[in-house]
Amino acid sequence: MKKLTYFPGCSAHGTSEEFDKTVKMVMTSLDVQMEEIPDWNCCGATSAHTMSESLAYALPLRNLVLAEKLDNSTMAIPCASCYQRLKVTKVHMDDNPELCKEINSTVVEDGIYQGKVDVKSMLQYCFEDVGLDAIKAKVTKSLAGMKLACYYGCLLTRPKAITNFDSPEYPMSMDKIVEALGAKATEFDYKTECCGASFSISNTEVVINLTGQILEMAKESGADAIVVACPLCQSNLDMRQPDIEKHLGKKIDLPIFYFTQLMALAFGMPEKDLMFSKHIVPVEGALANIGKIVPEPEKVKKTRKAVEAESEAE
Amino acid sequence: MITLGIQGKNTFLSDVNKRSGANVLECYQCGKCVGTCPVSGYMDFPPREIMQMVKLGLKNETMMANSTWFCLTCSACSGRCPREIEIPSVMEAIRHMAIEENYINGSTKVKEIRKFHEIFLDMIKRYGRNYELRMMAEFNIRTRNLFKDMHLAPKALLKGKIPLGVKPMKSAKAIQRMYKLAEKLEKKHTGKEA
Repeated sequence: MKKLTYFPGCSAHGTSEEFDKTVKMVMTSLDVQMEEIPDWNCCGATSAHTMSESLAYALPLRNLVLAEKLDNSTMAIPCASCYQRLKVTKVHMDDNPELCKEINSTVVEDGIYQGKVDVKSMLQYCFEDVGLDAIKAKVTKSLAGMKLACYYGCLLTRPKAITNFDSPEYPMSMDKIVEALGAKATEFDYKTECCGASFSISNTEVVINLTGQILEMAKESGADAIVVACPLCQSNLDMRQPDIEKHLGKKIDLPIFYFTQLMALAFGMPEKDLMFSKHIVPVEGALANIGKIVPEPEKVKKTRKAVEAESEAE
Repeated sequence: MITLGIQGKNTFLSDVNKRSGANVLECYQCGKCVGTCPVSGYMDFPPREIMQMVKLGLKNETMMANSTWFCLTCSACSGRCPREIEIPSVMEAIRHMAIEENYINGSTKVKEIRKFHEIFLDMIKRYGRNYELRMMAEFNIRTRNLFKDMHLAPKALLKGKIPLGVKPMKSAKAIQRMYKLAEKLEKKHTGKEA
């Protein structure tokens, strides 16, 4: 049995409850025991680092200090934004002991940060620590027939110097995971474009514009659903999809799954436990494709990868 | 090393460099950041121009620009920058300086973005965690736009997409104390730099 420290993040109790729940189901099934950081606090997200340098480090640092009291070497975080704030803080504190000492003085609980817990995103943990073989071994209901565009967003792989995980331009870890589940990952060029993130409320116009492009590209890649690993990406693409369709003047109709929901589904867990009812865009159409394997339709548009491969062949 | 810009008395440049940990002088104005940035079209000055303005010491224009508020910190620009400059850190340094020195961009959009961040930080101060529904409601009230996103509410609430409550921390007081201490720290730093 593996042990893991778990930082759920605020959205786990809110808009991304289904992510939190399916992470727990999948980890239990993969024989990973998760320990939640006791009385964790918000990481500060975009707002803290926008407004104040000290708060931007202080809020995540408290969680890092509390995490060190648990006896695990690794911490995994489902939310991409929380992950980035904690990882940035870890890297900067490790590099700058003087600043670290100052920031540590704002943490009222006992404990001096030592930098002994590794911070990973849940996607990274599944890919690196659990591994594709262990995931494949758990699949009892193959997702063959599903065509999925894997959308990583901006924070899971960037900046490279901080995350040190996968490619910042064309990552493949989630693609490989969904393929281990039996589904087909489409060639999708907008994998790491930003969805507009926290502008969802304060600058909706920008989000509608950016997510519109992402959804259109996913549709063009031939996908019948999008897979994500970030609560903000999910709610921007899902909850705002009716508005985006109005803006684009066409139907998109792409459900947005968390990768752990699909893992749980492929592991044979009952559909009713995966909280599909919370989705704004209905999932039934995409799920009905499971088991239906149709011959590859002709590509509508050549993707960057295909063009590169062709020019290499020439 | 290629260095373009006014050095010597350009204290704005050295302040930005010091705070961001980047070297803006490395920028050779290729513009790759502008093509990459998902929001450069909304900015008064796209990232390339901001970099040049810092080099030229145009402090007032740079600090008043909406660019640093529109930056999403998605790091697409720095990933592609041939000079490997951490452009989002530069944007952030300028924004922090503008906040501290009271340079206020009065456009509605910047005001709304700033208001959102302030409300978000208020939520954390109160509960230790973000209370999504209340945050959205407060944003609508405080920007006097009561019906914004109301058309999403029936579905989002019925389906439980946005829960009605929040599970606050047990020791939210620890966070309130942290806010006070962090504020002190910030004052100490800016006092040093002034």
